[in-house]
Amino acid sequence: MKSRKISVSAIIPFALLLIGALTMITPFAWMLSTALKGSKAVYQIPPQWIPNPVDWANFSEIWTSSNLLVGIRNSAFITSIVIIGSTISSSMAAFSFAKMDFPGKRIFFIALLSTMMMPGVVLLIPQFMMYTQFKWIDTLYPLIIPASLGNVSMIFFLRQYMTGLSSELIDAAKIDGCNYFMIYGKIFVPLSKSAIAANTIFIFMNTWNDYLGPALFTNSKNLQTVQVAIASLNSYYAEQTDIPVVMAASLIAIIPVLVLFSICQKYFTESFAMTGIKG
Amino acid sequence: MSIKKKIRREEKISGLIFIAPAMLQFFIFFLIPLLLCIYASFTNWNALSTNRSFVGISNYIRVFQDAKFWKSIGNTIYMLIPIPFYLFFAMLFALACHKKVPGNKVFRVIYYLPYISSIVALVIIWKWIFNPEFGLVNIFLQKFFGIVGPDWLGNPVWTKRMIVIMIIWKLIGPTAIYYLAALKNIPQTYYEAATVDGATSVKQFFSITLPLLTPTTFYLTVVGLIGSMQTFIEIQLFTTDGGRDYGVATIIYYIWQRAFKYNQMAMACAAAILFSILILIITCIQLKLSNKWVYEGE
Repeated sequence: MKSRKISVSAIIPFALLLIGALTMITPFAWMLSTALKGSKAVYQIPPQWIPNPVDWANFSEIWTSSNLLVGIRNSAFITSIVIIGSTISSSMAAFSFAKMDFPGKRIFFIALLSTMMMPGVVLLIPQFMMYTQFKWIDTLYPLIIPASLGNVSMIFFLRQYMTGLSSELIDAAKIDGCNYFMIYGKIFVPLSKSAIAANTIFIFMNTWNDYLGPALFTNSKNLQTVQVAIASLNSYYAEQTDIPVVMAASLIAIIPVLVLFSICQKYFTESFAMTGIKG
Repeated sequence: MSIKKKIRREEKISGLIFIAPAMLQFFIFFLIPLLLCIYASFTNWNALSTNRSFVGISNYIRVFQDAKFWKSIGNTIYMLIPIPFYLFFAMLFALACHKKVPGNKVFRVIYYLPYISSIVALVIIWKWIFNPEFGLVNIFLQKFFGIVGPDWLGNPVWTKRMIVIMIIWKLIGPTAIYYLAALKNIPQTYYEAATVDGATSVKQFFSITLPLLTPTTFYLTVVGLIGSMQTFIEIQLFTTDGGRDYGVATIIYYIWQRAFKYNQMAMACAAAILFSILILIITCIQLKLSNKWVYEGE
C-alpha cells in the first residue's frame, strides 16, 4: 500500500518533467533529422521525422564547401588562451580579495563589481572606437586580450568560495616559509578545484558561443570564428535554400559545449548550489 | 617588530600584484571606454570624420526627438513578458525534479540544452521551425487546429511573440537549477513540523516553500529584468532592419544601429548613457522594494 502511494506521487512530477524535456529537445531532434536529409526531402509535407534515406553527405560537404574548419580553428585558439588567462588572473584576484589585506581593497572590489551593472553591448561602442585607434580592428586581439585579463563573475564567485576556506592554512604555510604565490598555487587552487572547473565551463561556453564580438571586430574570412562562419553560411545558403547543410554545421558547433557540459555536469550543479543565492 | 612590518609589506605588495591583471582590465577595457562614451556623447564624433567638436547636449535632444527611439522603448518593455512565464515553469519543474524522480540527471542536461547552445545555432533552428510554409509549428497548427499559421518571420507582431516564446524556452532550464538549489536549502524539519500540525501539502507549499523561495525569486527577477532590457542579439539575427515599421527593434538594437549602421557614434553614445542610467534606476528601485516582499529569515 505504501509503495504504491509513493509511485503514484512520483508519476505526476515525472510526467511533467517528461513533457518539459520533450519541449526542450524537439527543436534539436528536428535539427538532426533535417541535417540527415537530402535538400529535396526537406520540403516534404507531412514532415518526415526519420529521414529515408539517411543522407550523411551534408556532414562531409560542409568541411569543403564552407569556412567552418577555419572557424573552429580560430575559436579553439581564442577559447584556449582566454580560458587559461582568465582562470589564472581571476583566481589570483579572488584569492587576494578573500585572504589578503592591502590598501584600496574595498574600493577595487566595488569597482570590479560595478562593471556588472553596465550593459555589455553598450560598452562595445566605445570599445570599438578605442580599438580603431589601437589598430586592433580585424585582428584577434579584441577577442583575446580583454577577456584573458579576468572575468568579474568568476572573481566574485571564487572570492566567496575562498573566503570560506580556513585562514589558518595561510599562517601554517607562512611558518613553513611559503610566500603568497606558493600559498595560492599549492594550497588554494587545489582546494578550489571544483569551483574553478565550474567557472571554466562558463567561460568556455561564453567564448565559444560569442557571436557579437567576432562579428563586430573582425571582417577577414581567415579570422572568422565558428559562430561567424555558421552565420555567414546561413545567410549564403538561405538564398540557395540548402537547409540541411546549415543544420549540420550548427549541430557541429553545439557538440563541443554539450560534451563538456555533460562531463562536468556535477561541478556545474554543485557550483549553483554552493552560491545558494542567500538573498 | 621590523619582521612583522616586513611581512605586512609583503602582503600588501603581493595583494596588489595578484589583482593587477583584473584591475588593468577594469581601467583599460571598462573605465576608459565608459569615459570615452560619456565624452563622445557631447561631441559630433562619427566614424568617418576626424574633426570632433563639442556640441553640448544636442545628441541627447536628437535621441529624444527620434520616433524610432520611443518605438524601441515600447519593444523593449514587450521583451519583459517572458520573465513571469519562465519563472513559473522553472519553479514547477524544480519542484518536480526535487521529488527524486527517475532520470533526474538526464533531465538536467536536456533542460540545459537550449541554454548552452549558441544563439546563432538557435536562431537557425527557430527560423526553420517557424518557417511559415514548411515549419513544424505551422504544419502542426494546420493539422491539429485547422488554423493557418501566422507569418512568424515577416509580421513584426508575430516575430516578437516568437522571440518571447524562444526566450521562455531558453531560460527555463538555468532558472530551474537556481530554484532546485534553493529547495535543497529548505530544512526538512519545517515540513515535518507542519505535517504534525496537520497542514496539507498545498498549505505547506504556500506557507513554507513559496515564502522561502522569495529571495531566489527576487534575485532572478532583478537579473531577468536587467537581462531582458538588453534583448538584442535575437532581434539582430531574426530581422534584417529591426522588422517592418521598426516593429521588433529594442533599445540596444537602436543604439547598435545608430553606431554601426549609420556611423552616428556620438548619438549612439548618448542613447547608451541614457539607457545605462535607466538600468541603474530600475535596479535601485528593485533593491528598495525588495524588503516589502522578500523573506529575510528570522
